[in-house]
Amino acid sequence: MKILIIEDEKTLTDSVVEYLHEEGHICEAVYTYFDALEKVELYEYDCIVVDINLPDGSGLDIIKQIKKSAKSLGIIIISARNSLENRIEGLEIGADNYLTKPFHLAELNAHLKSINRRINFNGNEELILNEIKILPNQHTAYVHDKELKLTKKEYELLLFFIANKNKVITKSGLAEHLWGDYMDMADSFDFIYTHIKNLRSKLIKEGCNDYIRTVHGVGYKFTICE
Amino acid sequence: MKLLTKTSLNYLSVTLFVFMFGTIAFYYLLRNQVNQNINIELEKRKTSIVNQLLSAHASVYTPQNQNEKVIITALKEIPKPQLSFYDTLFYDNMAQKYIPFRQLGFIANFDHTQYYIQIFKSLEETDNLIVRIFMIMTILVFLIIITLLITVRQTSLQAWNVFYDTIKKINNYDINTHNDFALKQSDIKEFDDLNKVLISMTERIKRDFSNMKEYTENASHELQTPLAIINSKMELLLQSQNLDDKQLKAVADAYDASNRLSKLNKTLLLLAKIENRQFPESKIISPQLLINNQLETLEDLIESKAIKVIKQFDDDVELCINPYLAEILFANLIKNAIRHNIKEGELIIQISNTFICISNSGTELAIDKSLLFERFHKQSSSPESLGLGLSIVQKICEVYSYAVNYRFENNMHHFQIAFKKIAN
Repeated sequence: MKILIIEDEKTLTDSVVEYLHEEGHICEAVYTYFDALEKVELYEYDCIVVDINLPDGSGLDIIKQIKKSAKSLGIIIISARNSLENRIEGLEIGADNYLTKPFHLAELNAHLKSINRRINFNGNEELILNEIKILPNQHTAYVHDKELKLTKKEYELLLFFIANKNKVITKSGLAEHLWGDYMDMADSFDFIYTHIKNLRSKLIKEGCNDYIRTVHGVGYKFTICE
Repeated sequence: MKLLTKTSLNYLSVTLFVFMFGTIAFYYLLRNQVNQNINIELEKRKTSIVNQLLSAHASVYTPQNQNEKVIITALKEIPKPQLSFYDTLFYDNMAQKYIPFRQLGFIANFDHTQYYIQIFKSLEETDNLIVRIFMIMTILVFLIIITLLITVRQTSLQAWNVFYDTIKKINNYDINTHNDFALKQSDIKEFDDLNKVLISMTERIKRDFSNMKEYTENASHELQTPLAIINSKMELLLQSQNLDDKQLKAVADAYDASNRLSKLNKTLLLLAKIENRQFPESKIISPQLLINNQLETLEDLIESKAIKVIKQFDDDVELCINPYLAEILFANLIKNAIRHNIKEGELIIQISNTFICISNSGTELAIDKSLLFERFHKQSSSPESLGLGLSIVQKICEVYSYAVNYRFENNMHHFQIAFKKIAN
């Protein structure tokens, strides 16, 4: 996927580019409003990741500009502003997601994957990883073509793992993905442990390899070699 | 007591007091004046009678008319004659009633004998006059008092209207609505001054408030960006293949800490926003629906602890609340009830028109109940817990004037939210 990152904080942009690059995306980064407008006009992207507060303009205006030119591409807003109004405004003018800083790179990656599915496969894609098959459109998962009976959270968890396969995923990253902000972390860590335990046992029961590794004191890793 | 009532009452009591003594004094003055006139008349008659007695030997006739009646008695027959003016009553046969008279008694010498002579003057007419004057005066003064009172009250009421309007507007003033503080114009200088001062004051407060909001927002923004950088760098570092376990653990700990910091920042910002009433728009929501949604997202955890959920929902309960805050409120309470629940415990959720009660099994708290809703107060020393969940609950309840309280009964923790405001 070709992605444009519009964010004035260079070091943050570097991290995002590096992470996404490892995932096999082609990333370009711009740091100002005008550079961003130029890039968006001249080149085609599958997705843009845009900060609202840019030194010489608003990221929202870039989104409006894109929507005017009727280009179909995914838009993810990253902003330090956390108010509901900002969030609603961003989504209303056509952004797909709104991430508040600080966000987890794994979270951004998962959102990009889902945008990729929507744009390039109209959501009808099958995600196949060895014996695991996922139909994102129907929210179902299969192991050896046998349907897994997963709860909503377990399904989300599996999808998140697959989106960030072979990466260390921290507990807090998982917690925020599953529960969003404002959840006391002590709760979420217990809860995540429960979810992962259940998911793991369901996968193994259907004869799936145990891909989920615990990285002690850090989080988890979905290790899979295709 | 209203100022107007107070001034009116004072005015009335003072005027009535003055009026009462004034009329009494007026009556006696009038009476005195009339008596003096009558006395002069009687003196004149006395002179003429004495002259008559001295000059003519003609018998003094006794006229029937009381006014001209003269009673002459030998002085010897009267042990103690009254020798001045005084009032008396005579019975009038014609009118069949007592009529007041002014009487003058004097002693005159005639044929070397001393006689006691009494002459009279009727007071009936003058009395009538006095009563009439008195009545007219009273009515007049009374009318003046009443009209004055009414006029003063009316003008005051009009003038104070502006004042009451101002008070009402101050009372309803909400700095978050961004409405202008439109105060009525008054033709009274003091009230106009008051309004001007109030308007400039609220302008100043509004400016300060928006400055503060901007500052909070900016501070949070400025904090979030470096945190975002730290987090992203740590996340990248975690992915690197050549870290040994010790290094990985160190990075993970630092990562967790910076995560906690950003979460704390976000949560404190949320609390500040709730306190600043920055969630003004309310909608009518169904708590049943929200709670059911929450239970659904948490079903795995409920199952894993084998918690028995008991719902006691009344029909058609509705709340008028900001939907986002409602979600946070119920989410916090339900998560709390699950976290502190025991294995195979119970989670009872009651929804009625007047309250929502969320109860869970558990052991009694070691900490003081009154500290339960305090910020950063937590029972567990677990570093991941922020200890802000219940203070968020309390702040949200404060905004909507809900009463939230906690009690421990029958080995269960009960969190009850009682509403005063129910959406119709």
